[in-house]
Amino acid sequence: MKQRTPWTAALVVGLALTAAGCGSASGPGNSSGGSSDKLVVWDWKSGDAKAAGYVQKAKEDFAKKHPGVTVEFVAQPFDQYYTLLGAAIQSGKGPDVILFNGGGQIRDRSDALAPLDSYVADDKQRLAGWDAFTKGGKIYAEPVTLQGHPIYYNKDLYQKAGLNPDAPAKTLDEFIRNCGVITQKTGAKCFSLGNKEGVGIQFWLSALGSAVLTPQEYDDWIAGKRNWSSPDVKKIFELWKQAGDTGLNTDGANSTAMFNDAFASFNSGKAANIIGLMSDVGHWKDFAEFLTPEKVGVTVAPQVNPAAKPSLPYDGGIGYAVAKWTKDQKLAADLVRSLTSTDALKAFFVDGGAIASDTTIDTSAGGPAVKTIVSDVKNGKPALHVALGSKTVDLMGRLSQQLLSGSITVDEVLQQLAASDKTG
Amino acid sequence: MAAQSLSAVDAAVPASTAGAASSRRNRRGSRAERLAPLVLLAPAVLVIAGLRLWPLVLGINFSFTGDGDRNGLAVGFDNYLTLLGDPLFRTALRNVGLLVLLLPVAVAIPGLLATFIFLKVPGHRLYRGVYFFPAVLSPVIVGAIFNLLLAFDGPFNALLGGLGIPPVDWLGDPDVAIFAVVGVHVWATFGMALVVFLAGFATLDSSLLDAAKVDGASLPQTIWHVIVPSLSRTIQFVFVTTMIGMLTSMFGLVYVMTSGGPEGSTYLPEYYVWIQQGQMNQPALASAASTALFLIMLVVGLAQISILRRAGKED
Repeated sequence: MKQRTPWTAALVVGLALTAAGCGSASGPGNSSGGSSDKLVVWDWKSGDAKAAGYVQKAKEDFAKKHPGVTVEFVAQPFDQYYTLLGAAIQSGKGPDVILFNGGGQIRDRSDALAPLDSYVADDKQRLAGWDAFTKGGKIYAEPVTLQGHPIYYNKDLYQKAGLNPDAPAKTLDEFIRNCGVITQKTGAKCFSLGNKEGVGIQFWLSALGSAVLTPQEYDDWIAGKRNWSSPDVKKIFELWKQAGDTGLNTDGANSTAMFNDAFASFNSGKAANIIGLMSDVGHWKDFAEFLTPEKVGVTVAPQVNPAAKPSLPYDGGIGYAVAKWTKDQKLAADLVRSLTSTDALKAFFVDGGAIASDTTIDTSAGGPAVKTIVSDVKNGKPALHVALGSKTVDLMGRLSQQLLSGSITVDEVLQQLAASDKTG
Repeated sequence: MAAQSLSAVDAAVPASTAGAASSRRNRRGSRAERLAPLVLLAPAVLVIAGLRLWPLVLGINFSFTGDGDRNGLAVGFDNYLTLLGDPLFRTALRNVGLLVLLLPVAVAIPGLLATFIFLKVPGHRLYRGVYFFPAVLSPVIVGAIFNLLLAFDGPFNALLGGLGIPPVDWLGDPDVAIFAVVGVHVWATFGMALVVFLAGFATLDSSLLDAAKVDGASLPQTIWHVIVPSLSRTIQFVFVTTMIGMLTSMFGLVYVMTSGGPEGSTYLPEYYVWIQQGQMNQPALASAASTALFLIMLVVGLAQISILRRAGKED
């Protein structure tokens, strides 16, 4: 027996070493949650200097309510975010509180999340943008920002072309006529477009949708009753193709990234208009840094169909959810509530320029563009593309590139999208 | 796996102690000798089995389960049928085929340039360094550089414009983009193949070249009849390594330069796997695509090993 010991011991040591190697190689073992005196948050924001004040305020608010609980923010790179999150969900353990984009990204993963309805009832009035985080009547996250697609324009170029920058076109015909004048006088294109990622069509569909679809068609679309063969839906895609064919867009749209080459070309005055965002990037604050706040105009889509009621398309942008595997879901939900407290959101607005979900925040210091956006939020409706499944959105991106290059017809596009929309 | 090998060792030891009673020391020595290789091999075998083979088996097994509502349920070959029916995956496979077809070009370029350096064209020392330089850059940096150069209003098109040629949307035209990406990949990686070729040239018998020169052979004749036959093994080696490089390390370029577009024309299987897992939340389908990619690589790898073996026998 004694003689065997060294070999057995060596083997055991060897095994232990290998096992230890496994442990340290298996990744973020120490950054996953599960204990009740510590909450782990995954996001892609907390590493950003513009969000530092926001995270700080939220932490302070939470510490007041739960002094004994530590909160750890783990900022993941956005490129890899949903890949990493997918791995965590597959293994059934990971962060307690998770940042999500509204729409498909959270709905596709709602199985892994805890419904928050019972915890967030008090916030329902104060915050806007819940729909993007709701599936099957249940709320899965509290909205932090609002995301939408106003049409921004460069007042300087309008002025140079002899147009009144404070009276944006009311109809699409007038809008395109103005573009013609601007291009003739300044050389700038009508739209700055980046469709390399297939994002351009999403912005287009949502920005122009309310000016083309009747209110009934619009509401049906959002409710999931989408009629892809309706002439109004077809019109949106025809306009997309026309804009490309008639040279309204900046050159090489299919090889220009929306993030951030298209925004950059609007900033540098190469185009008079851009369908942008409300929060994160490509928004009023980004543009104002280049063009000065006074030169950034913002408008809803010009009327295409007389029966339509143009409005600002917006949804909840990003929001925090609670993982199903979290031990103390009430505690985690409290952290989510701290992350959407008025003070925290105000810091996010002031530092990052995000349009916060809290409609009570005073935004008057932000300049004329943000004032218009916030006032448009009241009559806004959910964006059309956010209502689509991620597969259909992905397909739409590729088909939109084909429309621009002329290798497909609008009818074929609508057929394919209808088929994809049906299967989910 | 680990527990099994442990108990196997334990079981083996008492069996031998119960054997004939000869000298304790001898027996101990022979037992030690028998067990030593097992112990020494154990860490490597465990690492390979635990960190490579076992996850591979799990992945393949996972590819036979469903996504979304059918998460965790066995679905047979459904994922593989979905792959076959997905035009995007077919494009990815077609692009793999295209890469194989473009392989001779990717090998010929470093081969020719190495030949010029070997023949000591003026400035060959400079070229040797310059050609190798891109090989040290990461694909992301290379991709970003060429994004700028190949932009529609970028310097490359400006150059063409100067020559009176209309601009080409290098990364936005579905018929051109894949060639642009492969071209950039070749540019970024041919330095390594060039070095291998130069090493091959070092073994070349210079008397053959001298003889060709005396016989009045032209440069193309020298290359074709003297250099290529002498370097056949080097050329085969470069073929194999370039193929592996093309099939496994283009993700970074595709990601940065085209995002798989335009119109999905630059999709490669790796990119497809990444999109399905990360963006579409379909990990099981992604597993099926990975398994398909693994099988392709297995076939290509085995073919290459047999080529290399044949080349070795000729020697």
